[in-house]
Amino acid sequence: MKNLSEQVLKQIKEDNIKPKPRWHFVLKNYFIWLLFGISIILGCLAFSMILFMVIQLDWDVYQYVGDSFLKTLFISLPYLWLLFLILFIATAYYNFIHTKRGYRFRFITIVLMSLFISVMFGTYLYFNGFSENIENIFFKKIPYYNILVYTCEEQWMQPEKGLLAGTIVGIEFSEHSIELIDFNNSHWQVDTSKSIIKGNLQLSNGLKIKMIGNMIDKAYFQAIEIRPWKGQRKMLIKNK
Amino acid sequence: MIIPEKDCAHKSDEQLVSESLKNSEYYLCLIKRFESKLRNYIMKISNLNIQDAEDILQEIFIKTYRNLNDFDCTYKFSNWIYRIAHNTTISLYRKKKNSDLELSWEKNELENILQTTLKLEEKHYNQSSYENILKIIEQLPIKYKEVLILKFIDGKDYKAISDILHKPMGTVATLINRAKKILAKELSKKGITVK
Repeated sequence: MKNLSEQVLKQIKEDNIKPKPRWHFVLKNYFIWLLFGISIILGCLAFSMILFMVIQLDWDVYQYVGDSFLKTLFISLPYLWLLFLILFIATAYYNFIHTKRGYRFRFITIVLMSLFISVMFGTYLYFNGFSENIENIFFKKIPYYNILVYTCEEQWMQPEKGLLAGTIVGIEFSEHSIELIDFNNSHWQVDTSKSIIKGNLQLSNGLKIKMIGNMIDKAYFQAIEIRPWKGQRKMLIKNK
Repeated sequence: MIIPEKDCAHKSDEQLVSESLKNSEYYLCLIKRFESKLRNYIMKISNLNIQDAEDILQEIFIKTYRNLNDFDCTYKFSNWIYRIAHNTTISLYRKKKNSDLELSWEKNELENILQTTLKLEEKHYNQSSYENILKIIEQLPIKYKEVLILKFIDGKDYKAISDILHKPMGTVATLINRAKKILAKELSKKGITVK
């Protein structure tokens, strides 16, 4: 058998092999932690968007339009952001196990830890209005984003199912009638004689509202219930 | 300048790493310390022949030397070099899986693994049973074979195996238990019963 130890040492000398410098490994380690941190931050953002999209929808309307809760859930889940959340948690896991001591933790521990951080900071971002701002930016800047997500505008723009929303542009109190422009810029005459108003709402010009009722014809709607439009978000119209 | 062996004898592995970074001659002492253990480990997990094992061992020592600055003194050097050996061997094993492989178990090593993992009935401690048992061990998936080797041949504890295989300690324990169960099941198929 050849003398392996001397052969190795000879090769080290002949090929002038040197140990890689320490900074190389330190940098690599920091880089992995940086990627882990970025994945976690993006996971927080994804969770805040999920929270925003789930909270902005009215989950009680399915009973008025005759859909089942499961069908409503299936239509309304924010799949795009759920997918991103899964992707960022997977990336966080991959980077974490490649840190020096990451392998000591179980898969489930790392995933739950990443999810916990995403939920905590994602909720914080949501309550600070971050997700609403981000969605407004995405709607304006990201092509086709509007067709990838299901928003409250889409939910309330189903007059044939009895859901309509828009801005009041005229009120006839004596005739129990209002004039409304919906998100597609269509004009509607709304009969409010048999309607109830939910929430602290004073009908006035320029007010954004959403209604449950019946579509009588393509420009005439009979309201049964009127609700205030939630939040300060701009009305973003889907371009289909 | 060749470092006399007595200069290395009283130094720990970790001290030799830091000496090797200053003077490559000290690396010879580390190679001598781990050469035979690693050769044995490589041959057992991979069934590679001696020539392939020597080549891979040389590659492992060169790779270790290049990465000496990555060694973290809070770890044991032996676990770290076993980790490099594990990675290098597995990657080569995948390429050579179906080429000239040979069995590399000594009788006493086999007896050791049998006595510590399974309690065989006395009548099975004979050459014919050994050959059957050896075939079963050699055919075990590598993930089971290597935990058995590290635990029962190299005498590593769970933490060391966890550091070498980069798996959580709980997973190491699970792998060892599964390996024992598979071994017992395969042995019973061959009529070799455990107590």
